[in-house]
Amino acid sequence: MSAPHTESAPRQGDQVLGPRAGRWATPALAVGVLGLAAALGLGWQRGDGFSRLQHSWLVACAFFLTLSLGGLFFVIIQHLTRAGWSVVVRRVAELVAANTAVVALLFAPLVLGVLLSNDGLYPWADAERVHGNPLLSAKAAFLDPRFFAARCIVYFAVWWLLGRWLLARSTEQDRVSGPEPTLALERRSAPAMAAFALSLNFAGFDLIMSVNPTWYSTIFGVYIFGGSVMSFFAAAVLALRFLQSRGFLTREVSVEHYHDLGKFLFAFVFFWGYIAFSQFMLIWYADLPEETFWFKTRMEGPWAAVSWVLLFGHFVLPFLGLLSRHAKRRLALLTLWAVWLLAMHAVDLFWLVMPSAETSGVLVSPMDLASFAAVGGFWIFSLLRLARGRSLLPVGDPRLPQSLAFENF
Amino acid sequence: MTVSDTSRLVLDEPYARPILVDGARDLASITDRVCGVVERPTPPRAWYVAITITSCLTLMLFAMVGYLIATGVGVWGNNSPAFWGWDIVNFVFWVGIAHAGTLISAILFLLRQKWRTSINRAAEAMTLFAVCCAGLYPAVHVGRVWVAYWLFPVPNQMQMWPNFRSPLLWDVFAVSTYATVSLLFWYMGLLPDLATLRDRATSGLKRGLYGFFALGWCGSARHWQRFERAYLILAALATPLVLSVHSVVSFDFAVSQVPGWHTTIFPPYFVAGAIFSGFGMVVTTMVPARELFGLKELITLRHLENMNKVILATGSIVGLAYATEFFIAWYGGNPYERFVFLNRALGPYWWAYWLMIFCNVVAPQFLWIKKIRTNLLFMFVISIFVNIGMWLERFVIVVTSLTRDYIPSSWGYFKPTAVDVCTFVGTIGLFLTLFLLFCRFLPMVAIAEVKTILPAAHGHGAHGKHGGEGRPGREVSHG
Repeated sequence: MSAPHTESAPRQGDQVLGPRAGRWATPALAVGVLGLAAALGLGWQRGDGFSRLQHSWLVACAFFLTLSLGGLFFVIIQHLTRAGWSVVVRRVAELVAANTAVVALLFAPLVLGVLLSNDGLYPWADAERVHGNPLLSAKAAFLDPRFFAARCIVYFAVWWLLGRWLLARSTEQDRVSGPEPTLALERRSAPAMAAFALSLNFAGFDLIMSVNPTWYSTIFGVYIFGGSVMSFFAAAVLALRFLQSRGFLTREVSVEHYHDLGKFLFAFVFFWGYIAFSQFMLIWYADLPEETFWFKTRMEGPWAAVSWVLLFGHFVLPFLGLLSRHAKRRLALLTLWAVWLLAMHAVDLFWLVMPSAETSGVLVSPMDLASFAAVGGFWIFSLLRLARGRSLLPVGDPRLPQSLAFENF
Repeated sequence: MTVSDTSRLVLDEPYARPILVDGARDLASITDRVCGVVERPTPPRAWYVAITITSCLTLMLFAMVGYLIATGVGVWGNNSPAFWGWDIVNFVFWVGIAHAGTLISAILFLLRQKWRTSINRAAEAMTLFAVCCAGLYPAVHVGRVWVAYWLFPVPNQMQMWPNFRSPLLWDVFAVSTYATVSLLFWYMGLLPDLATLRDRATSGLKRGLYGFFALGWCGSARHWQRFERAYLILAALATPLVLSVHSVVSFDFAVSQVPGWHTTIFPPYFVAGAIFSGFGMVVTTMVPARELFGLKELITLRHLENMNKVILATGSIVGLAYATEFFIAWYGGNPYERFVFLNRALGPYWWAYWLMIFCNVVAPQFLWIKKIRTNLLFMFVISIFVNIGMWLERFVIVVTSLTRDYIPSSWGYFKPTAVDVCTFVGTIGLFLTLFLLFCRFLPMVAIAEVKTILPAAHGHGAHGKHGGEGRPGREVSHG
């Protein structure tokens, strides 16, 4: 149990990655560059005007973006509820949440494609196609390339500003003795949550739902939210395990904190299942052709198998697997589920986007792996750059002693 | 405003957890204070006035239900094209109210929100009473009330089985499961306090009754160990139920093809709305009740402020859901769907729609201001708006869609009858009567649970107040 460590506050220097961040960042950057080169090469070789590659790229960007957005939600709600238990794991979340600029940069080519009327990913980007389709022309005011680009800028600006502000204030608390930065975080966290909810909800419609511009579902933003937060908790478990294996936060983060992260992971597995079921059941039951076609493509042919994988892999099995207290406190087991659920989150995003590009035959292309490596490499590189000079523990947080002494029983 | 009230206007010092109850700093005074409400020889005069009015309203409800059973469902305003009217509106309204109690007792328990201990007992009681009011409507709407048991899959010789494909039947299971678990949860939490009342009872009758319901609780370590286990398990079971009940209620509408009803966001949006309305009702009742029964030191301004924050958060979620619905109605491109939403805002029920927007979306936004959310009068008025707004929400959903169907020749305008109005007012009477009886005869505040959050319970009283100096209080949790 963690109680005995409470007396000695850890020193800041102990918990800074420093030059080690550089040592891990270089291979990440290399993976990113190689992945990018491979993705571009494979996309060019395909000869479809990079349409397939754009889909892969969207899935990869969405995967790492949702990790950051889940982290953003976590950090904001910790301040909003003045949580004590989570202080020792919060800096890692803050770093993940602040790491959205790199995704904005990587996502920019897709927006540029839309502006250049490239309909390889978003069919509504082609004005002629929209003109010929009454369903699309009815919503042309919204699915307009320039308006879309403007909205993307707003979304990423909101996320980037929120993430950086939360991180800056929290690191400021490391240096000053009074509680002012923490109080400022508490005060601003409610409007931050409102900005987060609005931006995530509509970004879900824009970035992912509009790949199928005639399909619509009001719950879609909530669905993306559920997956985002779940994937963040899985990533947080893995990040902490990695840092602890390298000697960081070893005395500060205890099994008690993992247990709580595991509870939230379990809760959001359940929440995702609830939202996914609601969306599916209501559309299936009402049986309206303008809605069901989206599920029909996912329930027939090669995609049916992926749907089953999601049902069991993203919901039933992890639900049963994470139910017991034992599973959440046995770190090897929890880590296994975290890896599994991150993989399932990737499958989920793939399942949302890719049936538009792959209607038959081969599902996974090497391009998908290359895109994933590219975005992932750059994302981790950028994360390590952010983390390099900062303490991994909010050493000045007024609630740090509560977090260090935290116990479940 | 007292000194302690003024200090609430600034944020808490983050170095230590604040003490959640005022005044009653020792364990015995909490018992005295809560039991005092039940043990005083006569209740306050206001209680008599209130229960006289509410029981008259309850009698009116019974008269209306009797009249309905004797005459038929035609006494209500339901008629083509609005085959559902106030009955389902009121059903959904009351089920929504029933959400705060279990949220406070189960979900806030799992989230270690210790402030819940002062309000969970009363809120859970309201859950049960609201479920009673809700259950009444479908029960009498079936027309032939004497065969209402056909809703359950009871084997019988007629080969009649319920239609399991109907969400109305799912409601029967969802609501009855919720009622059962909520009742068990509430009753189990009551056991230690019933035993306290038994031990303090002065008359044999009281001792006998409280003793009977206390199930032989003697406060042994073994009892407490089992109690906490069971509490955790029931909390874990009740948590998904809080989500499922109103989700299933929303399916009543959302599985259909009626424009304005069929939309996928309904389940989480209904749940958020239910929590919103439930907390609205808890504030509406607790603001006067804590004054009336002298519980201001246990149910403090902080508790009310926290509830107001939940109202603000859930009200904003509801507002976002309205906006999303409206946006997708346009984005989806379905002309019927677009028409329904324009019709809500500009059609014959425009007044209901804009009043709903004002009550549910605009009014709670005032709670951003700390001075307002810690002012009893303002919060009471806003909570009334929330109650009205959430009733109107269900009215708008049910009536605007039904009276503007696909075929203009079948359009209509719904008008409630006097029986509709009297039945609804009667359920308010029933709800308040049960609540007043609860306040008089059962401990309104969970005595044993409140004691666990006092600094004295952790053996370091002084540190609770000035935790920054020494070893801070340990975070104790279950879960």
